[in-house]
Amino acid sequence: MADPVFAALVPGMPHMLADDPAPSWARLRAAVVTAGDRMRAAGVETVVMVSTQWFTVLGHQVQTDPHLRGEHCDENWYRYDYGRQRYDLTVDTELALGWADEIDARGLQARRTRYDGFPVDNGTITAMNLLDPEHRFRLALVSCNLYAGADAMSVLGDAALATATRLGRRVWVVVVSGLSSGLVQRWIAPADDRIDSGHEQWDRRVLDLVVDRKHDDVLALREEYARAAQVDSQLRVYPFLVGAGLGALESCELLEYGPIWGTGAAVVTWQ
Amino acid sequence: MSRVFHVGAGTAASQARRSGPAPVSAADEPLPAVCGGAGGGIVAGYLAPHPPHLIYAENPAQNEPRSRGGWEVLRWGYELVRRRLAADRADVLVVHAPHWITMVGHHVNCVPNPRGVSVEPIFPHLFRYHYDFRTDVELAEAILGEADDLGLVTSAMREPDVRVDYATIGALHLANPAWDIPVVSISANNNPYFYSDAALDEMETLGEATRRAVERTGRRAVLLASNSLSHLHWDVEPDLPEDMSAEHPFDQHQYEGDMRLLSAIREGPASELRELIPWHIQETSSETKAGSLTWLLAAMGWPDRTGDVLAYGTIIGTGNAIVEWRGDRG
Repeated sequence: MADPVFAALVPGMPHMLADDPAPSWARLRAAVVTAGDRMRAAGVETVVMVSTQWFTVLGHQVQTDPHLRGEHCDENWYRYDYGRQRYDLTVDTELALGWADEIDARGLQARRTRYDGFPVDNGTITAMNLLDPEHRFRLALVSCNLYAGADAMSVLGDAALATATRLGRRVWVVVVSGLSSGLVQRWIAPADDRIDSGHEQWDRRVLDLVVDRKHDDVLALREEYARAAQVDSQLRVYPFLVGAGLGALESCELLEYGPIWGTGAAVVTWQ
Repeated sequence: MSRVFHVGAGTAASQARRSGPAPVSAADEPLPAVCGGAGGGIVAGYLAPHPPHLIYAENPAQNEPRSRGGWEVLRWGYELVRRRLAADRADVLVVHAPHWITMVGHHVNCVPNPRGVSVEPIFPHLFRYHYDFRTDVELAEAILGEADDLGLVTSAMREPDVRVDYATIGALHLANPAWDIPVVSISANNNPYFYSDAALDEMETLGEATRRAVERTGRRAVLLASNSLSHLHWDVEPDLPEDMSAEHPFDQHQYEGDMRLLSAIREGPASELRELIPWHIQETSSETKAGSLTWLLAAMGWPDRTGDVLAYGTIIGTGNAIVEWRGDRG
């Protein structure tokens, strides 16, 4: 089985697009742009993505609309310049439909999703507008079921890789997720953005394991980390990455880490 | 799209401007009492669950998908709500809904005429609803002002391009499919992908702010808490979503948790629920963790009376009850 040529963890918070960003938002933005540059250099054709902000509860939704185009006005951040984003996304429908078939074949329920006006989540939009501003790449998107366990997430990753291999696609596996979630519960100026020290210690402890590619250790620590730092979707994107072949990638780099509105955010790449 | 029309926000005096005639039997009756005095106040509050399956099952013109029906007992419960609403001649429906998720603060929709298509990201096969309604902007802003004064973090949402969520639309449509009463829509300050819950003490404050604003503006308001009860559910769906042979409580524990809460509601007083709601959330992962029910009961002053359980049923295994609390204190 072929391996993904590239993988990345990126934040999904739109603050990285702010006209007047906090220093950490600007650094995180630059790091996501760097990840995009590496993607293009690697000759990737299709981005396989799961975003925690596309959360669902029934089965696993696979986006099969070939062209997603529109404008997202965010229900929380609408008052800021980064609260409104245009998007123009091309879905690799052959890969997406094949992925859905593979999910079904593994005993999970894939739900093929193609509806006019379907609301694409802010995490996917933010990530793709920074990674791929010229819209060169195709996408394969699966939702993040709120109740799916780590095993199911791993199966989804495995199914994506199997499909890409069968179709001969060079894919880039991207997970869009935050880390700790000490979201500041008030309106703040960018310069006032801070992360709770306890949460930061947890984030850095896990990121050290990530960079050392100690995947089993990350998976073993995941639930404790999730409880201690109230981690975005319990870091279930990590078993997704492992299922998609993360173990075969030889290097890992932490490009940036910092707060976004009090939450922990990191940009990590694997090659 | 049909059965949608526009009416300006108003008071009891605006009744005559509504396009639909009030039922004769109701119009001839004196106005029911309210919480909060002889003028404006809260006429009634409803626990008003919103699963999109109920609108899907009803096949209204506004919703694109078609169904063979299903979940009739719950929908019959909403028919009772509609009759009671007609008799109450409310000026405004105020809804708190858990799927307008705001990570920072409590937001109130101040868009005068929200309209658009709400494609539900979780249930797009059931809910693609064309909405077009009027906001009571004066009351919306009054709630924000009172909430600010009480120290809550708030925001006035004035962006018409923000999609109205299915929990807001669901409760409003099911209670009042004619959409002939102005609306105030309040967000839920929580975050599902971090699994955080609403702070119930803040919901008490938000309820107090709502009550003060209703009284200050002189509105006759009906409140809708758009929450299901027990919230464990199936993670797959039958080929026919309305296959009622697949519908039953998720498990006995969930069912019994709901029955304990509903029994307490039926026996009263509502003040007993202050302790029971957190217990019920813990035991059943109840959707009331989003705070809508606490907000409603706090706004009504935790009335010293029973609630009227109009219907109970499950939807993909979750418990759903339609409950009315009257606003008068008699």
